[in-house]
Amino acid sequence: MSDPFAGYNDTVRTHFRTPRNAGRFAAGHERILAGSAGQRRHGREVEFQLQVTADGRIGDCRYHVYGCPATIALCSLTSEALKGRTPAEAAGFSVVALADQLGLPAEKRDAAVTVEDAVRAAAGRYNAALAVSPAVPQLQA
Amino acid sequence: MPEKIIYLDYAATTPVDARVAQKMAGCLTCEGLFANPASAHAPGRKARGAVEQARVQVAALVNADLGEIIFTSGATESDNLAIKGAAHFYRNKGRHVVTSRIEHKAVLDTCKQLERDGFEVTYIKPDADGLIGPQAVAQALRPDTVLVSIMHVNNEIGTANDIAAIGAIVHAHGAWFHVDAAQSAGKLPIDLKQLPVDLMSFSGHKLYGPKGIGALYVRSQSHVNLDPLIHGGGHEHGLRSGTLATHQIVGMGEAYRIAREEMSKDVTHCSALRQQLWQALHAEVPEALLNGHPTQRVCGILNVGFPGIEGESLLFACHDLAVSGGSACTSADKTPSFVLRALGRDDQLAGSSIRFSVGRFTTKEEVQTAAHIVSGEYHRLRELAPAAG
Repeated sequence: MSDPFAGYNDTVRTHFRTPRNAGRFAAGHERILAGSAGQRRHGREVEFQLQVTADGRIGDCRYHVYGCPATIALCSLTSEALKGRTPAEAAGFSVVALADQLGLPAEKRDAAVTVEDAVRAAAGRYNAALAVSPAVPQLQA
Repeated sequence: MPEKIIYLDYAATTPVDARVAQKMAGCLTCEGLFANPASAHAPGRKARGAVEQARVQVAALVNADLGEIIFTSGATESDNLAIKGAAHFYRNKGRHVVTSRIEHKAVLDTCKQLERDGFEVTYIKPDADGLIGPQAVAQALRPDTVLVSIMHVNNEIGTANDIAAIGAIVHAHGAWFHVDAAQSAGKLPIDLKQLPVDLMSFSGHKLYGPKGIGALYVRSQSHVNLDPLIHGGGHEHGLRSGTLATHQIVGMGEAYRIAREEMSKDVTHCSALRQQLWQALHAEVPEALLNGHPTQRVCGILNVGFPGIEGESLLFACHDLAVSGGSACTSADKTPSFVLRALGRDDQLAGSSIRFSVGRFTTKEEVQTAAHIVSGEYHRLRELAPAAG
């Protein structure tokens, strides 16, 4: 029988074991955008938070994740990759491409899509907020 | 982190006991019992003697007669021979077979084949603890039922069925009763002089013997007939042709001899370790759930559900442990365990369940380390997860 975890390279393994930026911003933090995707009963649930700096860039990220090792590792890697990007760039960030670069098995594409959807949902709130006010309001999911 | 993998998968297979390996080695080379046991010459007769000695040892563990033990390639073949063999032989008497939804795949897939061959099969649902009640069996019987196959101990959750009560009902109905005892031999007392069982499957490698060898008990008093699966040579009373694998058979015999002599010690050892593991896990993870019956069970298997976390991640996180996940009995299969689903566990809990199985060579320190690893990873993954909605 093949190793069911053979599709996870060292990068995936490292980020699964020691995920970066995991958790949630403490109450009182400002300029937080939050979005979520997936459902636990379907095996995958992701909540992403983006902290936007005064110059409109993502300064930091937090997330909570329920899912397989690939989902957890992708959250961690994505949280690192989003720093310094604008919310619009974050909304267009391809977690699927990241998964492909990591050599994750095709059946893990859904994991990437879920992370991508959560990030897009959070980043999308920035655009919606700007339509009302140039100042980013506190938007907690 | 432990320096080596902690093996807690004795229900999947056991290491060969060194005493067994030594006996087996004596059957392979020029100086040993390598000859064909069917040969009439002196080396052949010596090999035959070793085979028959092993048959005595296997029969002794379960209080069977010598002529009632048929050597096969393993419990899977024994299950096939018992179920297909009896069903096909008695096909003109009836074409209905009864089994349960949580049998080993060796039984379930064999029954599926019987369905393709024109038989009807009733799959009994277990209760919430994984037990097959005698009354549930009684309700499943039909006038055309020829065979009932119910496992003694479930391989995933360790629950032990009351095969004496089930067998009495089956026999009162006039059907044959087959029991897969791969997980119970050497762990629970089995007295085939007393039990109303016609056919019973045994494995070598679940009891510190080698892989590739098993046995089928065929009760002589029952006069149950079987259509053989393998033809050619008429070995094993014509039920299982093929040159007898002396080293495998001798290995199984020695393993069963040791099991008989050391059963009390093994059971005490495994029961204590299993209890230690459950207590340690439950202390660290109070929300952990025991899958299976709390007391009506075999000594070495502990199946625990860990709510709120995803199963593949838990198993991957516990990579220093050799355990089985809640995805059937193969971690490559991501489908939630059909056994746990049959018990009413939802997909999430079935997927995040772990089967720990301890054995003769498991130590207290290994169990302590395993509990520490699992509880630590559980809390880490739980903290990562969003609050349950």
